[in-house]
Amino acid sequence: MILELVYIFTVDLLALLAVYLIINISLNLEYGLTGLPNFGKVLAVAGGAFVAGSVPGRLMAEYFGLYRGIEAYANNSVLADCMRGLSLQKPKILEATEFIEDNVLIITCINRVLSFDPFLSVLILLLTLFVAAGVGAALGFISSYPAIRLREDYLAMTLLAMGEFMWTIGYYTRDLVGGTLGVSVIDPYGWTGVRERFLVATFVLVGVAVLAFVYSRILARSPLARILKAVRDQEIAAEVLGKDTVKVRRNILMISASLASLAGALWAFYSGGVIAVGYDRITWTFWPWVMVIVGGSGSNLGVLLGTTIFVTARKFIDYYKFALEPVLPFSVVWLDRLVLGLVLLTILLLRPAGVVPEKPTLTLSREKIAELIKKQESSGTG
Amino acid sequence: MVVEPIVRDAVVFASLLSLLSIGLTLTYLTTKVPNFSHGSLATIGVFTVLTTTELWRQNPYISVPLAFVLSGMASLFLYLAALRPLISRGAGLPLQMVATLAYELILLAVLNIYADFLTRVFKITSRDFLLRKYDLKILDEPGVFIISPLLVIFLVSSLYLLLTRTKFGVAMRAAIENAPLAGVIGINVRTVYMFSWFLAGGLAGVAGAMMGLWFQADPGFGSRMLVSIFSASIVGGLQNIYGGAVGGYIVGLAEILGTSQLASVFGVQILPYRPLIPLSAMIITLLLFPKGFSGMDWGRIIRLRLQGAKL
Repeated sequence: MILELVYIFTVDLLALLAVYLIINISLNLEYGLTGLPNFGKVLAVAGGAFVAGSVPGRLMAEYFGLYRGIEAYANNSVLADCMRGLSLQKPKILEATEFIEDNVLIITCINRVLSFDPFLSVLILLLTLFVAAGVGAALGFISSYPAIRLREDYLAMTLLAMGEFMWTIGYYTRDLVGGTLGVSVIDPYGWTGVRERFLVATFVLVGVAVLAFVYSRILARSPLARILKAVRDQEIAAEVLGKDTVKVRRNILMISASLASLAGALWAFYSGGVIAVGYDRITWTFWPWVMVIVGGSGSNLGVLLGTTIFVTARKFIDYYKFALEPVLPFSVVWLDRLVLGLVLLTILLLRPAGVVPEKPTLTLSREKIAELIKKQESSGTG
Repeated sequence: MVVEPIVRDAVVFASLLSLLSIGLTLTYLTTKVPNFSHGSLATIGVFTVLTTTELWRQNPYISVPLAFVLSGMASLFLYLAALRPLISRGAGLPLQMVATLAYELILLAVLNIYADFLTRVFKITSRDFLLRKYDLKILDEPGVFIISPLLVIFLVSSLYLLLTRTKFGVAMRAAIENAPLAGVIGINVRTVYMFSWFLAGGLAGVAGAMMGLWFQADPGFGSRMLVSIFSASIVGGLQNIYGGAVGGYIVGLAEILGTSQLASVFGVQILPYRPLIPLSAMIITLLLFPKGFSGMDWGRIIRLRLQGAKL
């Protein structure tokens, strides 16, 4: 019993850690390295999640002919049995279905089929992630439009507003992800087993997070990172050296938005549902900012540390809230915001560079450069 | 005279949005940081009016000065405790914005805790509450509808008198224009900034208290209005205090009347997309005339028009 609880707690914690790590790495690329204050992080995350909520389910329903009534899929015994079973609740679904209206029933039956078909499951997972990354890149491209024209302060306000835009569309457009009710997301991990699916989903999330982290570490030591930092610290100098700062900003926004979208889609697959109200600016913009600033913007290790500290702390507060709830005259959710807001302010005032500050990029020593020049000269003359 | 309900909504909303964006513009002019917690400063006003009416059973308009002081203090606290130390240490603009964001989290938490407290201890509905029944009637119209535009006129003209007719106001303008130079001639720039932040918060509080009397509200009320406030300030022009007032009316009226107009053309399903109007107003402004309404050279435009008419 205790072991079971620890298992669930750990798996959940790891998944949350991984999804935030991906988002924070992408924010660090934008803000930490390039200096773009993206206060609309939720835009790309919600984009990815909405893709996961609306694309694969519809695709599968279309593929199996679920919309056209029982005759279309009568030869698929698993699907037909499942739909017949569920038609006890709602007889109409045997004649025709509608994706949002009969969402739960459709997704339940698709999941039943997918749980016997690992190949199709993996295929649809990869396809969705591909689409999500593409949508993310498109959203990044759109947000680069103001980003290459506006100053930091105006840019921050515009991106914040764009983040709200996504949420509003998702919430009020019923056809996208079910509006106020949300939608279920198909389960591409179902074939691994009811219990194991969370483990596998977490494994995938952690895998992507590790890849993103490694990418970000390699990037941080590459010449590209120096260009990014030049754009951040001395834009004119970067331009003088012939770097196209507009292109650099646009590319970084596209890369990081597609990373964030990937995180959003993977999170939707992990949690098995998407609801637009879940994609607010506190959860997917403000928390990532808190973690990146506390950890140390511009430093990969700092981002990892900040994410770990914050996600773990929040998870524990969440876990013990039932213990605290009767003692306090208010909901514990607010305590967590109060405490974390105060922590952020304290860190800003005491250690504005974060727990692990960004290290200056070391250049070669004078002697070393002289040596290299000498070597080159001698090889040139000789 | 019968006033359509939608016109009442629009006038109240636009007037109070004006007050909010004047405040935002004021703090932006002094410290150059967009305050992400400005909306929640207004929510303090909303809860002040809830407390005076439901808890103390008093006239709701008592809460207006009270909200002015409370929100002003909250705003001043943000400046003194977070922004001034950060600025004096040379922290960049993004870090200052993050500080206002941290304050937003804290304010939201405190407001929600207070709301829970009201509900659990005093059994007062503190979420999705409507306080219209406490409002006065003036000429058979709800008090807020009459008072809020008058309040905007009063506050904007007082601000104008303050800035042009008093020594402190002139010092304030000097500090906004060129802080180091103002410091050289003996103006206490810090006091001026403190006053600006207090005033900005106070105006937000007043707006919140009035809004609480008219619209359905909850602890996230002001926070959700943030995009409208930014939009109004940008449309009005962030370089000019009075721009905020103009922008508030443009965006506020567009948001409410525009949505209802669109709904009458395209059908009611368009109504929920209301938040897209301030967003579009903001983006159009930034792309076409980034200095906003007050930053445009109106004299030149009118001259060009007249010349064009002659030809």
